[in-house]
Amino acid sequence: MSEEGNGVASHPEIEEDSCKGCGRCVAACPRKCLELKSTLNKMGVKPVGYVGEGCIGCGICFYNCPEPYALRVVKS
Amino acid sequence: MKTIEQKGMYQKFPRSGKDTRVTHYCAGCGHGIVNKLVAECCAEMGLQDNTIFVDPVGCGVFTYYYWDAAHISAAHGRASAAATGVCRARPDAVTIAYQGDGDLGAIGFNNAFQAASRGEKFGCIFINNSLYGMTGGQMAPTTLEGEKTTTTPFGRDPALTGHPLHVCEVFSQLQAPVYVARVSVADTKRIMQCKQAIKRLFEIQRDRKGYALLEILAPCPTNFGMNPLKAAEFCMNEMEAEFPLGVFRDAEKGVGGSRSCATEGGADAQERVPPVSATLAVKPVPRFSSCAELFGVPDGVDAPPAVDDPSVPERRFKFAGYGGQGILSLGICVAEAARLQKRHTLWFPSYGPEQRGGSASCSVVVSGMPIGSPTVEHPDVLVCMNQPSYERFVGDVKRGGIVIVDSTVPITKHPPEGVKLYQVPAIKMAEDFGVPKAANTMMLAALRAFKATGLDDEHLETALCASFKKKPQLVEKNRDLLHRAEAALAGA
Repeated sequence: MSEEGNGVASHPEIEEDSCKGCGRCVAACPRKCLELKSTLNKMGVKPVGYVGEGCIGCGICFYNCPEPYALRVVKS
Repeated sequence: MKTIEQKGMYQKFPRSGKDTRVTHYCAGCGHGIVNKLVAECCAEMGLQDNTIFVDPVGCGVFTYYYWDAAHISAAHGRASAAATGVCRARPDAVTIAYQGDGDLGAIGFNNAFQAASRGEKFGCIFINNSLYGMTGGQMAPTTLEGEKTTTTPFGRDPALTGHPLHVCEVFSQLQAPVYVARVSVADTKRIMQCKQAIKRLFEIQRDRKGYALLEILAPCPTNFGMNPLKAAEFCMNEMEAEFPLGVFRDAEKGVGGSRSCATEGGADAQERVPPVSATLAVKPVPRFSSCAELFGVPDGVDAPPAVDDPSVPERRFKFAGYGGQGILSLGICVAEAARLQKRHTLWFPSYGPEQRGGSASCSVVVSGMPIGSPTVEHPDVLVCMNQPSYERFVGDVKRGGIVIVDSTVPITKHPPEGVKLYQVPAIKMAEDFGVPKAANTMMLAALRAFKATGLDDEHLETALCASFKKKPQLVEKNRDLLHRAEAALAGA
């Protein structure tokens, strides 16, 4: 985990109910730190989840995601 | 600390009378990726208060809910014509038309082409997904040779329906355009190139340089019949082979000249286009004995025509959930069972411009007598597979009716008085049985177990099997699942 600056590690913030579970971000993540969850969101699809470590804050998941608010990335 | 997040879009989208944070696009849709980039570029360049978007008819129809800027909606195919008016009336504004391959490539081609030829001062974003998305995946002028669509079920045959239309190559023959380019959103590298190209489009408009066209290859997983990752691969492999990426013209940077096609992508493209042969023969297509056979709709069993029986009251069903959960097929199963039982029946689907990824529902009416209307406002039986559909329809159920809802749905609203509510773990059962896609078969089991349809069990089972006519390996599997689910429900 990369911790620098203000001590907050880079990580994605996921709005589960806005995710359609397409998996584009999961496939695109260079650190393979995203996966589809086994539980369903409000719409009835399995949303993306962060495995908890490995994020480098590159934002590639955000740009591959077709939804504006399903995920945002906090970069340390 | 820096945050990478959406810029230039509204925080909430007031679609269908309620605020939502999700777009109407299907999972994995290229439009969504492009919409985000357009909003971001517009915001990053400080042009939001000075931009007028001209919105199309097609899957991109709802961009006015998303992009925080000014909008005008044009009639189908007329975005470039409307943009001509806008950019002439407001030469101080940045005008951007957003069109698809039905809107620009087909009905509106001449509007777009003549606007480009006149060198109107607007930018045109053209989404090419090789078919008509919103209307259900029909052939477009941009459909690839051999590509299967609902109107070219054996693959597009150039002898019958012509060759794919290369919009960038055609437009770059004109003298006036200052920028013509083709990009893609199939992977990260292409998405970032796409962003640069969209920026260039805005720059050209901001600086009043002239007409610019940006074609973007976009995946349509729903109508390609592929998952989002395979659809992106199709874009990169099949579509790019026909539609090479590149800058065909950038007048300021000296790329591509007037009436010249000798550019990065262009020269290559010319070599790849096969010469039109005078001896092109129409390939023979297989013959089918009926429309049902051609379209693969369930007619596994010959059903006699409906018989009038005034003693059988009309029963109205509504099936609702998330597009892709098999809601529409579940409705077809019930309608097919009714047909086998010589009842009059109608099935009527309802979905928005999105096909998957939004709410989907269908109505089924079964009656002993001819049916007046296929629409169902107050169902006797409501089956819901997700929370939004439950909340939307539960209040409409008739007294004495029943509601069957998946157990994952929280009961935030109670059904009206005199309506029975069953919570069925359809999604969980399907997963436990190792076939997550069969949640709709679980719901059919529930309909049988609760005697909700008024139809014979035998016909429901035959209808279920007939619905898998195209995938015979699934017939026995689903029959087995149906029985196991019923056993589980009986035990519960």
